[in-house]
Amino acid sequence: MLVAAQTGDGAAYRRFLTSIVPFARAVARRRSGSDAAVDDIVQDALITLHRVRHTYQPGRPVKPWLAAIVTRRAIDSLRRHGRVARQEVSNPVAYETYADPQANRDSAADMARSLARMTQELPPGQKEAIELVKLKEMSLVEASAVSGQSIASLKVNIHRAIKRMRANLKDDER
Amino acid sequence: MTAAKVDRLIDELVAEAAPVTPLASPGYRAFAWLGTIALIGAVAIYAFADLRSLLDRYTDREGQMVLEMAAMLATGVIAIAAAFFLSIPGASRRWLAAPLPPFAAWLILSGMGCYAHLVERGAGGLEVGESGECLLFIVTTSALLAAPLFWRLSRARPIDPLPVASLGGLGIAALSAFALAFFHPFTVTFLDLAMHLAAILIVVAVMGMLNRRTLASS
Repeated sequence: MLVAAQTGDGAAYRRFLTSIVPFARAVARRRSGSDAAVDDIVQDALITLHRVRHTYQPGRPVKPWLAAIVTRRAIDSLRRHGRVARQEVSNPVAYETYADPQANRDSAADMARSLARMTQELPPGQKEAIELVKLKEMSLVEASAVSGQSIASLKVNIHRAIKRMRANLKDDER
Repeated sequence: MTAAKVDRLIDELVAEAAPVTPLASPGYRAFAWLGTIALIGAVAIYAFADLRSLLDRYTDREGQMVLEMAAMLATGVIAIAAAFFLSIPGASRRWLAAPLPPFAAWLILSGMGCYAHLVERGAGGLEVGESGECLLFIVTTSALLAAPLFWRLSRARPIDPLPVASLGGLGIAALSAFALAFFHPFTVTFLDLAMHLAAILIVVAVMGMLNRRTLASS
């Protein structure tokens, strides 16, 4: 079927893609260990297969070729999720939003208090940089003029402050 | 994603599925690339190489010269072949290790040559030869070889481009070092050898960094 698909036979290509989905799902599930990720991996694998279908050599077994593509996409998916997990911090309060703004007052107040506390705990240079650039939304040039810190120092202080606040947030969750 | 989403994706893929020409076998593609480079290299060596000084350097050590150059050439050829094989989904991961034995043999044989030179010359055997020029030669020649190699490897749109690019980098750096031997009018010292290794690492690192932009399939 894949050989026919390489010649442009659409019907054969459809039969081939449909027939491999269960196999692709099985490989994806085994590699990722998570049902939630399987669908995305299968989708990515089908798109990749489409792009590299010219690399299949007629006469060779299809399964190792196909399994390599699905496995690769499963590894990419795991890495992607690993990166996201390292960079992002879950804050359940952030999801508590309602259509009625009044209903959000409690959670918004909680978040504001939490942010204020974390900002207060920062060293003076970092605290000033965060307040001017992130809370008062000044440009770096304006913040530099107000604080006397150079633009490079402001960038470094903001980076360090966010890193420290993220770590504090993680500690709070434990 | 539900089955309906998969069906919709399959519909889209089928709709844009133009006929494709299957790639030739990776062995044939590697052979074609290496053959072309060998022809060009042979002409360049015939026209510009200093064969007499090559033979002078290895007087009474012709056997070692042959082994050392064979190890360099084998490293280059096997690494390039491995890059072509690994660019195809489902290739054996053993290709990753294939160039290591000749690479190790090359380092050991070069090290022995450096040691013999050190014993013969005493402290003079530790001098820096024309190391800077060696590094420049290997990096420049590798850069010239990298473009046609990337072009051929990218035809396969490797799904895991990093090992493909790194092996390609090792291959072209080894072939460049092999070519350098024909233009190297002095005996290699340990520091020269270190410089050769540094050049190889630079080429492999640059090829590795370029991999996604130039080779990736998605």
